[in-house]
Amino acid sequence: MSLLSVSDLQTHFIFHDIDNQLREARALNKVNLTLDAGQILGIVGETGAGKSLTAQSICGLLRPPARIVGGSVLFDGQELLSLPEDELNAIRGADIAMVVQNPRSSLDPLTRIGEQLVRIHQTHSGGPLDISRQKAMEMMQAVGIPDPEGRFTAWPHELSGGMAQRVLIAMALMNEPKLLIADEPTTGLDVTVQAQILDLLKELVARFDMASMIITHDLGIVAHYCDQVAVMFAGEIIEQGTVRDVFLKPAHPYTQQLLAATPERLDLGSENQLGGQPPDLFNLPPGCLSQDRCPRATDICRTDPPMVQVAGGHTARCHFAKPASKSASKSAKPRRSKQNG
Amino acid sequence: MSAVSSVKAPLSTRFGNRLRGVSRLSPTATAGVIIILLFGVLALFSDLFMTHDPISSYPERILQSPSAEHWFGTDGNGMDIFSRVIYGAKFGFGIAIPAVIISVLIGVPVGLIAGYRGGLLDEVLMRIFDGLRVFPSIILALAVVAATGQSLLNVVLVLGFLDSPVFARLVRAEVLALRSSIFVESAVAAGNPTWRILFLHLLPNSIQGAMAQTAVRAAWAVRISATLAFLGVGIQAPTPEWGAMIRQGAEFMVTGQWWVAIFPGIALIFLVFGLNLFGDGIQDILDPRRRVSK
Repeated sequence: MSLLSVSDLQTHFIFHDIDNQLREARALNKVNLTLDAGQILGIVGETGAGKSLTAQSICGLLRPPARIVGGSVLFDGQELLSLPEDELNAIRGADIAMVVQNPRSSLDPLTRIGEQLVRIHQTHSGGPLDISRQKAMEMMQAVGIPDPEGRFTAWPHELSGGMAQRVLIAMALMNEPKLLIADEPTTGLDVTVQAQILDLLKELVARFDMASMIITHDLGIVAHYCDQVAVMFAGEIIEQGTVRDVFLKPAHPYTQQLLAATPERLDLGSENQLGGQPPDLFNLPPGCLSQDRCPRATDICRTDPPMVQVAGGHTARCHFAKPASKSASKSAKPRRSKQNG
Repeated sequence: MSAVSSVKAPLSTRFGNRLRGVSRLSPTATAGVIIILLFGVLALFSDLFMTHDPISSYPERILQSPSAEHWFGTDGNGMDIFSRVIYGAKFGFGIAIPAVIISVLIGVPVGLIAGYRGGLLDEVLMRIFDGLRVFPSIILALAVVAATGQSLLNVVLVLGFLDSPVFARLVRAEVLALRSSIFVESAVAAGNPTWRILFLHLLPNSIQGAMAQTAVRAAWAVRISATLAFLGVGIQAPTPEWGAMIRQGAEFMVTGQWWVAIFPGIALIFLVFGLNLFGDGIQDILDPRRRVSK
């Protein structure tokens, strides 16, 4: 049984527009994904594809006008969507921890670093203050903060971006979560620090036996750090599988285009660039959501595409994806080593 | 940052920061502080400065002009005005400080909740407070004190309640900006219940503007309470309250006994002036745009 299993999750933005007309933006359309303990899942997709919204929906962090209209989120055998707020609070920050972008603005500017670490431990685990304090020191050490004694009394504005992100990761780890969601954890950090933070995350996931979900735009990061990858488009996961399967044998035309458009392969020309716009969420076309941008689209794409099992654990939502056959076993053989990252 | 290992240690540094903040006060604000301190000393240790009992009358010395015996003269009851002006400082602070505390205690939590929750609750709370602000505060205060009974306690409660919208509005405005900030979202994601977010994270980050207003609102409370007493509502005549004394003195103004009203009037002006100077000074410190480079 998977640690996290999201099925048919639908999140819509429902509101009255300026003419008092009820409008509904279908931002998440039947998101399905699973994540096992010890795995790192990368979620990629263009801006507005619903990556962060998926994370927020899982944690119950949505605010009106966003509303979950259907589906289920099973975490550790528990249905999160129907949990009352106080029970959800007991899980958030404890069993599910989140690391977000803009680490410095994620810290309360008027509370010292150590105090913030101690607080999150006190909120969930309670116990004597000394234990929390000791734990905070340990975690600061674990995330590689030099001189944790000194940093304990530092203010958030005294930290660099990379240091602040380490503090956030330390905070996330304070209650030994089972699932760590990192929403673009390295946006805004320079490339060297980016690599350090991601190496750290990967190491910590292994060390504390967590599962992790990394949301990113960067295919290189996914190739380098993730076990699984889910490609999102217009609020739908159109392809999920192991990084090797999806990167080497992308089954969905959108994934193929996306991979072809990675900068390393762009030889100055622009043929490989992904053209077009994501569909209008207020007015989604019937059938496949990527039909307008897909070079292979035909009339059949006006009907709902099936979820095709391309290989074991590799699924794609496309009419043209080939279901697993005798040749599927070939996909297990590596043809090339990682080409990105 | 120095390497201090205890979590408790910050307190001293925090206090140091506060002191440094005070030392940044402009000369006018410093003058305000001095005036407030002066009146504070008079209020706390009035026994040391009073030359006579403020409410015992000398029937043979009615309406005497200032002299060596009665520095500010005597009033229509033959009471020593100097002693009464000094004793009156007790009422100035005794009304203003509790009134502001009540305003803060009502206004700040309402502002926090209204701003954070938004929606219908926000609308209802803010419309109620807007309703309070619609009436000229002096007329509303008059009406409420007249209806609830003339006592010092009622004056304090009414002033405190009437002024709470100021603090609610200030805090609410800050919270509106903060509630969608990333650190508040992070606090939600970390599993904090609403009350913890309100009081541990939003309160410290939104209280600055409201705190800067306290001195100015105290000045308002001093002014309004004196006005009420002048109009004969709340505190009554023999009590050495400045507003009541001015009212009594007003009768003698036309007949030439100017000292009865002038001295409590001057005291009132100075205290209000001092509080306003100080309040402006705090705002200058908190608002960098108003800071003048020296």
